[in-house]
Amino acid sequence: MNSNTGRAVAGIAIIVVAVVLLIVLKNGGSDTSATTKGVTTIVIKNGKPVGGIAQLTYNRGEQVRFKVDSDVSDEVHMHGYDIMKDVKAGGSVSFDFPATIEGVFEAELEGRKEQILELTVNP
Amino acid sequence: MSFFLPVAHALVARKDLPVPVWLFAWGASIVLIVSFFALSVSWRAPRFEEDRWRPLGAGLSRALLGLPAQIVCGLVGVLLLGLAIYAGLRGTEAPDRNFALTFLYVTTWLGFPLFSVFLGDVFRPFNPWRSVGRVVGAGFTALAGQRPAHLRYPEALGRWPAALGLIAVVWLEVIYGASGGVAVGLAPHAAAVAALLYSGYTLAMMALFGAEQWCRTGEVFSVYFGMFGRLGCFGVEDGRLGVRRPFAAAAKWATVPGSAAVVIASIATTSFDGAQEGAFKGALESTFNHLTDAGFGLTSALRLTDTLFILLCFAGVGLVYLTGVWGMASVPGAPSFKKLRAGFAHSLIPIALAYLIAHYFSLFVFQEQAQFTYLLSDPLGTGTTDLFGTASSGIDFQLLNANAIWYVQVGALVIGHVIGLTLAHDRATAYWGDYRQAARSQYWMLAVMVAFTCFGLYLLSVANA
Repeated sequence: MNSNTGRAVAGIAIIVVAVVLLIVLKNGGSDTSATTKGVTTIVIKNGKPVGGIAQLTYNRGEQVRFKVDSDVSDEVHMHGYDIMKDVKAGGSVSFDFPATIEGVFEAELEGRKEQILELTVNP
Repeated sequence: MSFFLPVAHALVARKDLPVPVWLFAWGASIVLIVSFFALSVSWRAPRFEEDRWRPLGAGLSRALLGLPAQIVCGLVGVLLLGLAIYAGLRGTEAPDRNFALTFLYVTTWLGFPLFSVFLGDVFRPFNPWRSVGRVVGAGFTALAGQRPAHLRYPEALGRWPAALGLIAVVWLEVIYGASGGVAVGLAPHAAAVAALLYSGYTLAMMALFGAEQWCRTGEVFSVYFGMFGRLGCFGVEDGRLGVRRPFAAAAKWATVPGSAAVVIASIATTSFDGAQEGAFKGALESTFNHLTDAGFGLTSALRLTDTLFILLCFAGVGLVYLTGVWGMASVPGAPSFKKLRAGFAHSLIPIALAYLIAHYFSLFVFQEQAQFTYLLSDPLGTGTTDLFGTASSGIDFQLLNANAIWYVQVGALVIGHVIGLTLAHDRATAYWGDYRQAARSQYWMLAVMVAFTCFGLYLLSVANA
């Protein structure tokens, strides 16, 4: 390697290392995401979740607990875990199951195809 | 007012977790170390310019390539396409319960690239349009007593129709399908209509230019799957099945104009799909809000936003590649820009494959369980059919844990990077007689590869976060 090419290599190296560091530092905080505690209540008004799609995060092995209060009659489908429960207009339904599958899953009001929850299960 | 962007997919009940920071850092570090090692290797003579093809046994060739096998494979291809279209038109509108969507977009679109790498161009015998085209051609010859006359295919057009078609196929699923305003994907009915339209278009083009010619340059699936088939060691020459040096056939792939566009389209469309729920989320949302403020309806604003970004991805990936080519052209002794542009396109094929595996590996493993259980037993999703007794089976999401998926994703990108570098370096030694100049030209391709691989890792690290 002559000095020119050496400089080029060093240049590439510095750029890439800088980019890697930048991304690592930027994401550093989000790595240890806090898990959800207690029972979360998702309120459905006019067939839509109040405050947008609920976000729940658990580690594998923990117990997932949430409740859906709905003003419409529909079926709540927890995808991936494939749990379906009917809810009546003005009624509520509770979910309580162990987080056994890792990944990101959605729960929908099945009839309306309306997503109400994003469930994240970390290893 | 700001709207929630519905970018959920039709088929996936589960999305991958983002690759953790420590694995991202390891992946990127390994890529760097490997790349610097590659620079220091003194590779003086090209090794992949000759494919060293040698035939396998004549009996094996007859069994696998003979007329009976051609008829059986062609029939299977036509029947499966017919089943998919029928299921799409007559079956349930739930994308995840209908045979059509999983068969077309997972089993075929993701399955053939993977299998082609190991087995060669396996799509060719099963290609339903080629089979129909050949039968029609043979019928014409028998009736008219002469072979059908075809137009001359414009050489400059090359593989451009396939590149644009590839973008259209992905557009239909991830943009048109995912933007109906609710969290459902492409309707099976729409997929079936698209398949019918594509069949009509393909058969018309085959009638104009000839079935084999159109499969070489224009037919999206033939060109796309065939590209991955060039990486492996099995191939057919003069009607004989044979083995060759792995990767060597890829070195000859990009001699047709527009080939670089095909592989760039592949990387770009996968990037867009990977980025839409991670890296691009903010940008997509703000563009979408601008468009709705400007008076566009929700669905058209969403489609316009996504279409804009998938085209930007194509331009961006193309620009990175062309920058590398431009850099190489500045090295003394370089061939023309045009020759370089075509000459290094094949080195991106392993990167395209790595992107596919990184983004769709888990989807493929999970959705294929559905394909071979309930979608096969109940293709229309009526809930009343159970052909093979597997209609009530489900997908076992415990088959792969998050760690296994992460290692496959990062491993695919790192391996794709190494193979891409190797192919580029090999081509450089063929183009530059002086190995020092060849190595110098490769700083540019190295930068291109590092950019693609690190971008791929970055997309994984912020996906669905």
